[in-house]
Amino acid sequence: MSQSPLVIETLSFQYRTRPEKAIEKISFDLKPGEMLLIAGSSGCGKTTLARCINGLIPRSYKGERAGKVLLHGKDVSEMQIADVAQTVGTLLQDPERQIVASNVFNEVAFGPENLGLPREEILSRVDAAVKRLKIEHLLERETFNLSGGEKQKVALAGLLAMNPSILMLDEPLASLDPASAHEALEVFRSLADEGKTVVLIEHRVEDAIFAKPDRLLYMEGGQVKYLGSIDSLPTAINHREVKLPAEWVVKRVRQAGKMSPRVEPAAQEKRGEPLVVFENVDFRYNDESPLILQDVNLQIDRGDLIAVLGPNGAGKSTLVKHAIGLLKPTGGRVLVEGNDTKSMSVAQIAHSLGFVFQSPTHMLFAPTVREELEFGPKNLEMDSLAIPRLVSESIATMNLKGFEEYPPLGLSFGQQKRTTIAAVLAMQSKIMIMDEPTAGQDYSNYTHFMDTMCKPAHEKKSLVAENFAATLFITHDLDLAVTYANRVLLFGDKHIVADGKPEEVLKDFDLLTRYRVRPTSLLRMNLSLFSKTKQFLTAEALAAYA
Amino acid sequence: MLVTWKYRPRDTFIQRLDPRTRFIVLLCTIFALTIPEIWDYRFMVPLFLFSLTQFLLARIEWKDIRRTLFFVFILVFFIIGLNGLLSGRGGPSAALDPTSPIIFQALIPGTDWGITITISKLWFAMTQVLRILAMALPAMALPYTLDPNIYGTAFKRMGVSDKVSFTMDLALRFLPTFSHDLTITVDAQRARGYEVEKLKGGVIEKIRKLAPLIIPVTMQSTVTGEEVIDAMDLRAFNTAPRTWLKELHYAPRDYFMIGLGVAIFLACCILKWGFGIGGFFVPDFFTKFILG
Repeated sequence: MSQSPLVIETLSFQYRTRPEKAIEKISFDLKPGEMLLIAGSSGCGKTTLARCINGLIPRSYKGERAGKVLLHGKDVSEMQIADVAQTVGTLLQDPERQIVASNVFNEVAFGPENLGLPREEILSRVDAAVKRLKIEHLLERETFNLSGGEKQKVALAGLLAMNPSILMLDEPLASLDPASAHEALEVFRSLADEGKTVVLIEHRVEDAIFAKPDRLLYMEGGQVKYLGSIDSLPTAINHREVKLPAEWVVKRVRQAGKMSPRVEPAAQEKRGEPLVVFENVDFRYNDESPLILQDVNLQIDRGDLIAVLGPNGAGKSTLVKHAIGLLKPTGGRVLVEGNDTKSMSVAQIAHSLGFVFQSPTHMLFAPTVREELEFGPKNLEMDSLAIPRLVSESIATMNLKGFEEYPPLGLSFGQQKRTTIAAVLAMQSKIMIMDEPTAGQDYSNYTHFMDTMCKPAHEKKSLVAENFAATLFITHDLDLAVTYANRVLLFGDKHIVADGKPEEVLKDFDLLTRYRVRPTSLLRMNLSLFSKTKQFLTAEALAAYA
Repeated sequence: MLVTWKYRPRDTFIQRLDPRTRFIVLLCTIFALTIPEIWDYRFMVPLFLFSLTQFLLARIEWKDIRRTLFFVFILVFFIIGLNGLLSGRGGPSAALDPTSPIIFQALIPGTDWGITITISKLWFAMTQVLRILAMALPAMALPYTLDPNIYGTAFKRMGVSDKVSFTMDLALRFLPTFSHDLTITVDAQRARGYEVEKLKGGVIEKIRKLAPLIIPVTMQSTVTGEEVIDAMDLRAFNTAPRTWLKELHYAPRDYFMIGLGVAIFLACCILKWGFGIGGFFVPDFFTKFILG
């Protein structure tokens, strides 16, 4: 009997409700202290594999399972759930939904309490876990009010208190800003160095390699496409499916001889009257609360494609909520097309400005895509004869033809996201604001989405440039700003700390680091080749210049 | 944030009580009024004062509680009070005494349908308001004065199962998450020109028009629910008898309050069932006062 912490032998699984296998014939084993990075796009079977390892399959998710998952020699399907929980600690993607207790102490103690351990034992485990992750200062805090990075550490402490020998980390970087993600990776590495076996599921390989994983398992269509050292990745790994460092992408594109032709920088549009103006804007929720915006001055012009960067909780969302009138300034004023938002309702502003929220499930509700798209124009009391035309044009633009009568909530995540944009398009707003447009999507899906939205194609302007006078998106993915924006705002300390062309704002690494934005390989490469390119490009496009 | 009430630690007699004591005394008050069906103002007034004293001793800041008080008073006075006054239903049949003098009557001409307010209905409406407030006041103070982290432990220590006790904790844990989701959805729909305050039509139509808020929030809650179940399974919830870390200890003041609560309950039962005192009647002074 093998004593490796984790052995997987020809594992296959098919969900009861699905016609095809989710994973097929997967085999590997892991040693104590080994870190395995599992990468692959959505639907490749990563999450199913994780559920097989932590015992949720076959307990909570039913289907047909073949092969074995052995934890220290015991088959997971024959183990008690309490034993599995003490062997495999699983960190889920969104710590906000994983944390079950109202305060940090109760959260960390939750697992050991469930095991019915004696009081002293629980206290000493809680103490050890919070000390290990250096979060003693959070013990008395309410979990809901923690930052994303703090929530994740608390969730991780809750797992460590169970003393697992294997840590399963399912896309742990998804809800963190770059600096917090970096800190999290350091913690994962140190846990592996202490002897924990770590399974890190992450499609952003570029970020994950910072944790120095020993091996990479790349999955496609439920099968293992590559399993081996991370330094000698074969070309079988598609750089459009997972995010690889820019140098690796350039090397692959050059090796394959598939360089894109060089592109000339696009001419700057003529500007005209500003669309949105912030004049010395201050904001606080009430007289007793601290200022969230302080002396913010900003002008959004025609042709702007703005990326807003900055740490989580700095007030980026508060800033954009002022543009749509969801919040009104407590000092200064905000003008939308020359009108003060204080004297306008949100509905009136919606004629000029459309807002796409982070998660489509926060706004989709109608029984069909068509009705979903009619909702905004009807609310704005637009000409009822024009609405069907606006709706079908938006459907065509967002490539949703054929889905008109589908329920939006039954569509794939990417299609839902496109429906939310089509809903804003149908309202004929001039300006579009997107909050974290890529959240919840994997690399290949969001790259495709952003390319469709923001990249010019076949001599035509980009989709957003064609349909909106200006677009602004909030993101903590620096590469989105590098690749798609023509203007970057860096927001921190309650105001805009830098505003300008990407190549101007993003060259100041000290400034970026101060506001928790980590320079990426794509940014470095773009800066070093800027004298040749005269613009920022994707890693693939850079291959023609490198 | 839509959840406006907030617990705050305060050094008050009420907050120094063991949480179990507060639930037990509240239950004693509710049971004392409902089980022996007490409608006698001579019981009702002291019980109301008992509850009011607890409420005042909690020393909740006016700015914190004024909205809640406003809504509860609207509910109690207009819905329960008016219903009692106009229909006389929802209580003892004596409130509908046909011989009680009529104070006000407005009938549809040619029928005996309409509004008839009698002295007994008026007295009933007043006692009903007092009765509901006696039960509601201590309960209203709970969210402001009881640490949200202690509900589960308090229920567990009162003998409730692990599952039910933790459900209390879980509900309070996810209340802000739920409220946060609702706030985002309200903002998202407002940005599409949806105005809740301008909903037109009848009740059914208005509910139908709330779909843009209800459906996304329900979807979010369902997804959250599934993830929470996974997260709890993965940490061995409900696999063995649970250790509840927090310990609760009764102090002499707790024994005093519980004793008082139980004594009130027993006194009401004995007086009602043993001596027939405590039923509905309209006191003479009230009849004289109204009729002049």
